[in-house]
Amino acid sequence: MISVENLSKSFPIKAAKKQMQSQQRDPREQGAKFNALNNVSFHCGKGEVLGLLGPNGAGKTTALRILSTALKPDSGAVIINGIDVIKNPTLAKQKIGFLSGKTGLYGRLTARENIEFFAKLHGVSREYLLNDADEIYQNLEITNYLDRRVEHLSTGMQQKVSIARAVIHKPEVLVLDEPTTGLDIMATEIIMDFVQLIRSQGTAVIFSTHHLDEVALLADRVSIIYQGTSCFDGGIAEFQQQSRELDLRRAFMNVLQGADANVASLY
Amino acid sequence: MWLVFIKELIELLRDKKTLFFIIALPMVIFPVVFGIMALFGSNAALQEHDKVIRYVLKNGDVAPEFATKLFYHNDFKEVIIEFSGDNSIESAIKNDEVDLVIELDEDFKNQFENDKISDWKIYFNGSNIFGGTKRKVETLLQEYVDELQQQTFARLGLAAEQFEVFKEPIKIEEIDTADDRESFGEQLGGFIPYILIPLCLTGAMYPAIDLGAGEKERGTIETLLLTPISRLSLVLGKFLCITTTAMMTALITIFSMVLWSFIIGQLFDVSAVSEILKAVGWSDYGLIVLLLLPISAIFASTLLAISIYASSYKEAQNYMGPLSMFVIFPVLVAMMPGISLNFNWSLVPIANVALAIKELLKGTIDYTFLIPIFASTGVFALISLLFCVYWFNKESVLFR
Repeated sequence: MISVENLSKSFPIKAAKKQMQSQQRDPREQGAKFNALNNVSFHCGKGEVLGLLGPNGAGKTTALRILSTALKPDSGAVIINGIDVIKNPTLAKQKIGFLSGKTGLYGRLTARENIEFFAKLHGVSREYLLNDADEIYQNLEITNYLDRRVEHLSTGMQQKVSIARAVIHKPEVLVLDEPTTGLDIMATEIIMDFVQLIRSQGTAVIFSTHHLDEVALLADRVSIIYQGTSCFDGGIAEFQQQSRELDLRRAFMNVLQGADANVASLY
Repeated sequence: MWLVFIKELIELLRDKKTLFFIIALPMVIFPVVFGIMALFGSNAALQEHDKVIRYVLKNGDVAPEFATKLFYHNDFKEVIIEFSGDNSIESAIKNDEVDLVIELDEDFKNQFENDKISDWKIYFNGSNIFGGTKRKVETLLQEYVDELQQQTFARLGLAAEQFEVFKEPIKIEEIDTADDRESFGEQLGGFIPYILIPLCLTGAMYPAIDLGAGEKERGTIETLLLTPISRLSLVLGKFLCITTTAMMTALITIFSMVLWSFIIGQLFDVSAVSEILKAVGWSDYGLIVLLLLPISAIFASTLLAISIYASSYKEAQNYMGPLSMFVIFPVLVAMMPGISLNFNWSLVPIANVALAIKELLKGTIDYTFLIPIFASTGVFALISLLFCVYWFNKESVLFR
């Protein structure tokens, strides 16, 4: 369904930033360049949930930004159902739903206005919005406050509206970048249920998170990025088997420890 | 593009800060501020007019007629101060003990009788903008000088008619060919763009920050970039919205100025104001609005480019501060005496519009200059807009 192959991406390092970082030198720093990603690959099939893991600054957000067309890679490919995201970004955008760490909603618009604005930008018909969008609203339990301004909603309410905004055009791939950060248990539960539902409808879900319990609950596959490189990409069972740990937290730590040596040899 | 435009406009019009800059500032705040300034100004002028000047006359006994005239004048009141040592005339005026000191020449009588010039000195604080003290004492002195001249002429055996001819050998009749509108345009025509053009900038500034750096700060720009809309459409939608708010500010300001001028004209029976405003004509008002369109477009595209480069609200505000200076300088050109609209000036963005507005208000514009004005401002706006689109396509700018 979605295949990310050998993505590499570097950014220029500003002189000032370089000076500041000189004391804690990152191995990805190469002269005036910072190699944010180095041959990162992962895959997620139809109706699958991929848990994208990695410590802060590993390169998860850069990878997600590339696959959602916001950034262009230096090399590599992202293919969604045969469509090359880098070569046909406009077409690919129709097939992707993206939810970033921030809710990305307009505070002075109502929840409905926000959702409908993004729906129209994706070319969703008025009839669909009038007749079929209600199902999404009900599943996310946002019907009661659809006509309230987003700035007056709680963080949990906003995040649910944001998810509705991300799936209103029925994307084939849904990318969720730490969607439960800062949410209470109830709101987290609703989002978890919604991911299950959308997976059951055949959508591929890429789920970036630091919560391994959420990965255990939802993910079919796991991909780990560490210092810009892929450390692991495979099924949950394979992950546990390779790291010789049933506990995902310990398995994750084992993989990272093993990855340190590999990263050092790369640069 | 229109979807983005409508969304941005709805969002902006729901924002209290935007409403304040677009509506409240030109409709209420400016007239109130100008009204208060006028009130304070007229009160100060009235106080200066009614003020009784405390004076000291030194050696007054050499000109008793003048001393008497001064003593019995309603605008003057004699005070007694001894000037010696530390208490000089200057320090007494500085310490507000006295407003005016007139020092007569001790030998005045003798000098006058022998047809010699006598030196009198008047001390006063000339920093007052209305200059009431100087004006009043000069009037009184002139009356006295006239009397002295008459006495001299009589002594020389000349008739009163001859004295009049000596005083005013030529009577000049001034015939001003400029009508009220032209005079008004010359005096205030440069001031109107000085208000209108910076207001367009103010009207564009806040929305530009909100639609660029604001979106970055809130994380909404990333969501917007992930939709299938092209970057060009995105920029155009935002640009049109900012241009619209800038134009709305200008339109409301023009409406407010005309409205308040009519109200003042009616309330204080200053029919000249209403007459001049009527004389300008709706087509010229329309042209003023039209001239502000490319100016607003320049501001919108430049400010949006700056705003999208900035990574936060605060950073955008810091970058935009100096821009006001670049706008004020060309606008000041229109207020300078002797500078009028010609082909060269019609090619200089902002200055050309300021000069054209002045000429429109005067009723002396050469309409052919409108072509280079629209062409040069249009080209400048287009370049800024293309630069804006270029920056919207740069990752290093969008994800700074």
